[in-house]
Amino acid sequence: MNRIGYSTGAIALGDFAKAITLLAEHNFQAIELSALRIEEVEPLIESLPRLDLGNYTYISFHAPSAFGEHEEEYLVKLLSQLPDSWPIVLHPDAIHRFDRWTAIAGRLAIENMDQRKNTGRSVRELQEIFKHLPNSRMCLDLGHARQIDSSMIEAYLLLKIFSSRIVQLHMSEVDTQSRHAVISRAAEMAFAQVSRFIPSSAAVILESRVNEREIDNEAEKVQAMLSLARVEWGPASLATH
Amino acid sequence: MPDTSLVVFGSLAREEFNPGSDVDWTLLVDGFTVPEHIFVARQIGEELKNLCLNPPGVTGTFGNITSSHNLVHCIGGEDDTNANTTRRSLLLLESRPIGDSQAFTRVRNNLLRRYLEEDLGLWKASTTQKVPHFLLNDFARYWRTMAVDFADKQHDRFHEGFALRNIKLRMSRKLIYISGLLACFRCHLEMEDEGQRLRFFTKENSLEVAALLRGFLDKTPLDLCAESLFRFGGHEKQVMDFFSAYDEFLGILSDDSKRQVLKNLRPEQLESDSGYCEARKISHKFRQAADEIFLSSDNEIGKLTIKYGVF
Repeated sequence: MNRIGYSTGAIALGDFAKAITLLAEHNFQAIELSALRIEEVEPLIESLPRLDLGNYTYISFHAPSAFGEHEEEYLVKLLSQLPDSWPIVLHPDAIHRFDRWTAIAGRLAIENMDQRKNTGRSVRELQEIFKHLPNSRMCLDLGHARQIDSSMIEAYLLLKIFSSRIVQLHMSEVDTQSRHAVISRAAEMAFAQVSRFIPSSAAVILESRVNEREIDNEAEKVQAMLSLARVEWGPASLATH
Repeated sequence: MPDTSLVVFGSLAREEFNPGSDVDWTLLVDGFTVPEHIFVARQIGEELKNLCLNPPGVTGTFGNITSSHNLVHCIGGEDDTNANTTRRSLLLLESRPIGDSQAFTRVRNNLLRRYLEEDLGLWKASTTQKVPHFLLNDFARYWRTMAVDFADKQHDRFHEGFALRNIKLRMSRKLIYISGLLACFRCHLEMEDEGQRLRFFTKENSLEVAALLRGFLDKTPLDLCAESLFRFGGHEKQVMDFFSAYDEFLGILSDDSKRQVLKNLRPEQLESDSGYCEARKISHKFRQAADEIFLSSDNEIGKLTIKYGVF
C-alpha cells in the first residue's frame, strides 16, 4: 500500500514548521520537507533535530528548484548532511554540472518537469538525464506528466520505463500557469487511468495547494485512486513492447 | 512558443527528402490560441524561403497554423473537412516535429486514444482478432480521398504536374496507406498467443495498447513496412521487389532532370515519354509485389488485408 502525505510547501509555502504542525493533526505516513529556495535549505537542516517527524515512515527532502552555478557545490554539501534514507527530490533543469552531484547521486530522486522547462519532461529527455546519474531514482510528478501529455500515454510510459527508479510521486492539479492546485475531477480521472501502474512501494506526496480544511479531502481522493487494482511490472509485461 | 510544435510532413518526415521536394509544414497549436501564432507561422515560412526550400502546395492544407481541436474532435461527420482529414491522417502516418515535440506528441497520443477507446468492438472478449477498425477505416478513407483528390487536382489545374502526382500516388501515397494498414495489423500480429492478446486488449489497458500502436506509427513508413513485411509477409522475392521498386522511384525523384520532365508533361505526352514509361513500369512492379503479398491468403498480412482491407 502506498504511503501518502503532503509536501510542506503545499501546506504553508516557505514555512515548514507551520506545515509540520498542521500536518501533525492528521494521520499521514509520508512527508516531503520542501526548501524550494536556496536560502531555505540551511535553516531547515539546522532545525531538523527539533522537528517532530517521528510519525512518518517516509520522509523526503525537496531541493531548491533553482540556484546559481557558484552555489551548487555548497548546496550538495548541505544536502549531504541529510539522513541517508531520505530521498532528495531534484529538478533536473536546476543542475549545472552533473559531476558535482556524484557523491549523493544514489539519494537523488529526479523529478519530471512541467511544460515551462525544456528538459526532463518526457521519457526521452529523462533518459538523457539518467545517463549522467545512472544510480539516481525518480520522483514522478503525475500533474506535470498530464500537463505534458493529457492523453496520459507519456505518464504510462514514464511509469513503465522508470518503474524500478520511482521512489516517490507528486500528485496535484497543474494548471495552465504550471501552478499546483486542488485535483480536479478531470485530473482525477486522468490519474486513475494510470494508478494501476504506480509501484506500491512508492510514496505519494500531494502538492495540491489546500487550506487546512481540505487536507483530508484531497488525500482521500488520492487514496481512492490508489485502491484500484495494480499491475506490478515484470519481464512478461515488458516483453510485449 | 508554448503549446506549439513545428511539424513537417511528406518526404521530409518519411526521410525521403531530396532537393526537389516541397516542405509541407504546419504550426500545430495545442493550447491557448493567441494572435502571435500567425507571426510565428509567417516567420517559419520566411525562414524556409531563405533556405531556398520549396514551399508547400497551393491547397492551403500546409504552410499555416493547425489547431488541435478539430483534429481530435472532428473525426468523421460534416465538420471533418478534406484538409482536416489530410492533416490528421498525415499527422499519424508521416510527420515529424522540428524542435519542441510536446504539442505534437500530445495531439498524436490523444488522437490514438480516440481511435482506440471509441472502437468498442476492439475491447470485446469475443473479438479475437485485434485490429483497430476505427483507425483502419479512417486510413482507408484517406487513401481513397487521395485518389479522388488526384482527379480533382487534374480538373482544377489543367493537368499541371499530372504525371508527377500520378507516380507519387502510385508509390509514396500508396506506401503510407500500406504502412497505416500494417500499423493496425501489427496490433494483432504482435501477440501470437490468443490468451495473451485477449488479456492485453482490455479497455483498462487502453493506454498500453495506444503506446504499442504509437510505437509502430513512430517509425517511418519504409521502416515499418520493412520490419512488418520481413517478419510477417513471407514472399521473399516480392518483398525484395517491393523495396527495390520503391528505391528506383526515389532515384527518379532525386534526379532533377527526370523530375522536371514528369512535372511538366501533359497527358497526351504520357504514352510516348520514356521517363514517364520508366516510372510507370516501376509503379507496376511495386503494385505487383504489393498485390502478391497483400492479396494472398498464404501469409498473415495477406489474410488480414483480405479480411479487413477490402470490405
